[in-house]
Amino acid sequence: MTADEQAPLRAILEQRFALSTSLPATFFEHEAPRIAEACWAMARRFHQGGRLLAFGNGAWATDAQHVSVEFVHPVIVGKRALPALALTNDSATLSGLMAGGRPEMPFSEQLRVLARPSDIALGFSPDGRCANVQAALEQARRMGLLTLAMLGGDGGLITTETVDYRFVVASDDPFIVQEIHETLYHVLWELVHVFFEHEGLLQ
Amino acid sequence: MTDRANNEANDTDTQGSEYDRLFYPYLFAGGRVSLDEVLNQVQHSTLEKCRDVIALRRATLATARETLLAAAAAMARAFAAGATLLAFGNGGSTTDAQDLVTDLLHPPVAHWRPLPAIALANDIAVVTAIGNDVGFENIFTRQIIAFGHPGDIAVGISTSGNSLNVLRAFEQAKKQGLLTVALAGYDGGKARRSPAVDFCIISPGDHIPRIQEAQATVYHALLELVQAHLAAEKVRANSDEIRR
Repeated sequence: MTADEQAPLRAILEQRFALSTSLPATFFEHEAPRIAEACWAMARRFHQGGRLLAFGNGAWATDAQHVSVEFVHPVIVGKRALPALALTNDSATLSGLMAGGRPEMPFSEQLRVLARPSDIALGFSPDGRCANVQAALEQARRMGLLTLAMLGGDGGLITTETVDYRFVVASDDPFIVQEIHETLYHVLWELVHVFFEHEGLLQ
Repeated sequence: MTDRANNEANDTDTQGSEYDRLFYPYLFAGGRVSLDEVLNQVQHSTLEKCRDVIALRRATLATARETLLAAAAAMARAFAAGATLLAFGNGGSTTDAQDLVTDLLHPPVAHWRPLPAIALANDIAVVTAIGNDVGFENIFTRQIIAFGHPGDIAVGISTSGNSLNVLRAFEQAKKQGLLTVALAGYDGGKARRSPAVDFCIISPGDHIPRIQEAQATVYHALLELVQAHLAAEKVRANSDEIRR
């Protein structure tokens, strides 16, 4: 390959890393106070016996699974296992519900049957326009769950009225939205444990 | 705010784990902890973790720029020749493998070409069957034997670079003539030294969550580069067609 042919490829690589090393700073500087509050709220739910129930579509289904494994099996030795599960792992129930032909149904129906009021619902949507994620968060709220949304773009139809904690990565680039979501749920998981060490703050 | 007021009224918390005393000593300096102190320190930690991942992504690009470009070129050639990509890892790295696979099969960019890929942890029946019958170190190897063809691509993700089932899968893949690409953290571990690994892309960090976040950028960049190669190839093929 000639240098001329290589130049655009090098530019793609540099641009990707430039975005991934700039937007996170803007996002976390703005959101740090809300993140700390969300950690505290989640810690109180776990303390009451609540579980984390996570869901999202497409690539974000893998994030629902990723955040769950972090809580259940912490990589930091000595941290306690906390209950978390991804609704997307149950492909039998998901496909069964989707065969019913109502695309907004699967996650909210899973929550309706499975969730308890002390639980935490975490929904992912890269543009805030996933009807099934929106419906599930609304269902969770009605049932009294703590609700969190990790969104991208302009946050779409999942508003501050829909959820308790709404985090929007203001970008239409799906990769950077997802990467910032990943750091965000890692940070929530790492720092929930800080509150866990102070029982007095969990009552 | 009511919750917060209540907590400030009884902020008599003095315990905390050894880990917290080690990593968050400021929480215990005064012997008593208030909610506002903890919230402030959690904010501080959040920003520190953000700085850490940015630094690790910069270090990854500096360390692995040429390897990344070469791996993407080799993967694009393999896809152009009809390859299927097989992706694998453990824990959070499994979900990253699944993420890479869905971004190939069902690309997030409209004009990208959907490409064949399989995440080897997706079939929980197969994973538990192999794990139970022949051992967890073989869960991917056995599937490489079943699915791998010469010219296919094996992508293994391991934050330590030392996961036995990932290393074994690379060895089997190499035997069968697959292109092998490793994503590893720390110093690359055994994956970096394995003769079965064609390209080892290292994110030189030492904290697993940050390594995974840097690795997400790595495979996102690989996806973009592969698609750019395939698009350029298509343009070249079309202009050859026109010349004829």
